[in-house]
Amino acid sequence: MERISFRDEIARNRRNSLLLAASVSAILFALVYTLVYIFAPEYVVLAIPLSVILIILYAYGSYRYGDSVVLTATNARPAEGRQYQYLRDTVEGLSIAAGIPPPKVYVVESDEMNAFATGRDPEHASVAVTTGLLRELDRLELEGVLAHEISHIGNRDILFMTLVAVLVGLAAILSHIILRSYRYGALRKGRRERRGGGIALLVLAAGFVLAIFAPIVARLVQFAVSRRREYLADASAVELTRYPDGLASALGRIMKRNLGEMDVSEAMSHLFFVDPNRSPLDSLYATHPPMEERISRLRAM
Amino acid sequence: MAIWLVIGGVAVVAVVFILTLVYYYNRIRVLFNRIEEGWAQIDVQLKKRYDLVPNLVETVKGYAEHEREIFEKVTEARERMVSGSREERMEASNALTGTLRTLFAVAENYPDLKASENFKLLQEQLEGIEGKIAYARQYYNSSVLMYNNVITTIPGTWFAGGRRKNEFLEIPEEERRAVKVEF
Repeated sequence: MERISFRDEIARNRRNSLLLAASVSAILFALVYTLVYIFAPEYVVLAIPLSVILIILYAYGSYRYGDSVVLTATNARPAEGRQYQYLRDTVEGLSIAAGIPPPKVYVVESDEMNAFATGRDPEHASVAVTTGLLRELDRLELEGVLAHEISHIGNRDILFMTLVAVLVGLAAILSHIILRSYRYGALRKGRRERRGGGIALLVLAAGFVLAIFAPIVARLVQFAVSRRREYLADASAVELTRYPDGLASALGRIMKRNLGEMDVSEAMSHLFFVDPNRSPLDSLYATHPPMEERISRLRAM
Repeated sequence: MAIWLVIGGVAVVAVVFILTLVYYYNRIRVLFNRIEEGWAQIDVQLKKRYDLVPNLVETVKGYAEHEREIFEKVTEARERMVSGSREERMEASNALTGTLRTLFAVAENYPDLKASENFKLLQEQLEGIEGKIAYARQYYNSSVLMYNNVITTIPGTWFAGGRRKNEFLEIPEEERRAVKVEF
């Protein structure tokens, strides 16, 4: 349903996505520049066009193919066949109620109960649920969980969340490369005569700092983005199903049964309905609000 | 000097008025179109249901030929879904829901029918459509609410040009949440 906060949320998500893309582009540029400086200082002029190409590839790639990356990485397969008829019907019904086109439906083979939505806009969106979720929840509970995911699509959370997933993964890979290259670069320099200069040292130091901090910052973005969104999606889900108890009891059941050891990359944990990898540091670094809190908010509706 | 101030003032007021008019005209249009779209969604599902029912009746007839009365009721409710106002068609659809429930209850007495793959498939499909009709009606009603809110409150009502409030589609008593059961 259209409310003020809902429109605000869409605008906020669009702004956040742009801001994220801009910051990542800047960081990417710095990283590439450092890499080129270490590996091939003589070609440092090429760093600029090279990083521009990379930035375009990154931005376009994660916008256009972010959802495929996520779906592939989680081993999601299309929910085809009669055993998923009810799942497909419910997703389609909820999308009608939310006023968006029906998203594609996927299933992930796992005993853990979880679900996620991804895509770039409601016209290109997908919802995935685990087989454990389908097996353990009754229909009203499943409806609640699906409504939550449909709400992520309706609130345009999915693009930003998918962008963050790609970014966190990318930051980890890049920082790995850059840290390794320091060792390689150091060896190479050792054989040649030492090149002095404060600027060289500065660039090297900056690159080093970036390589260490990029993954941390990316993770922080991931933590920061998720909590408010989850509460909002819970509330929107109730607006779709008009039945807060369904979602609340689904959360309760998941809290009791899930072991928190789903085989999912940390980069994607914020996409999921509940945190797939629960750690002892949960409350501090959790990408999701505590389930008890979500349940008590739902019960109060 | 003073005359220019007056002209300027009038111009500003006129511009603000025109902008507000355009805004509300478009807003009311958009919300009205949302209602129409909501109805189109319901219509799609009603049509699907209309097409499925004869199949179901034929299937049940194959196993329970003498339950003539219930077949007639179903067929009659189905026919009523085709024409009339939105409220009338929805009412017919709700009546169909009721008669289909009876039909499925009757089917319980025929183990062969219940075991038939075709029958199970049809039952699942009809349940799916019923669910979608409920969701579509919810979207329709929420659209009507938004539309009515805009055209009945100030300042929207000044620009509504005498447009009338749209009617909600009533939710039949037996479909309310409390009695939603597991199939």
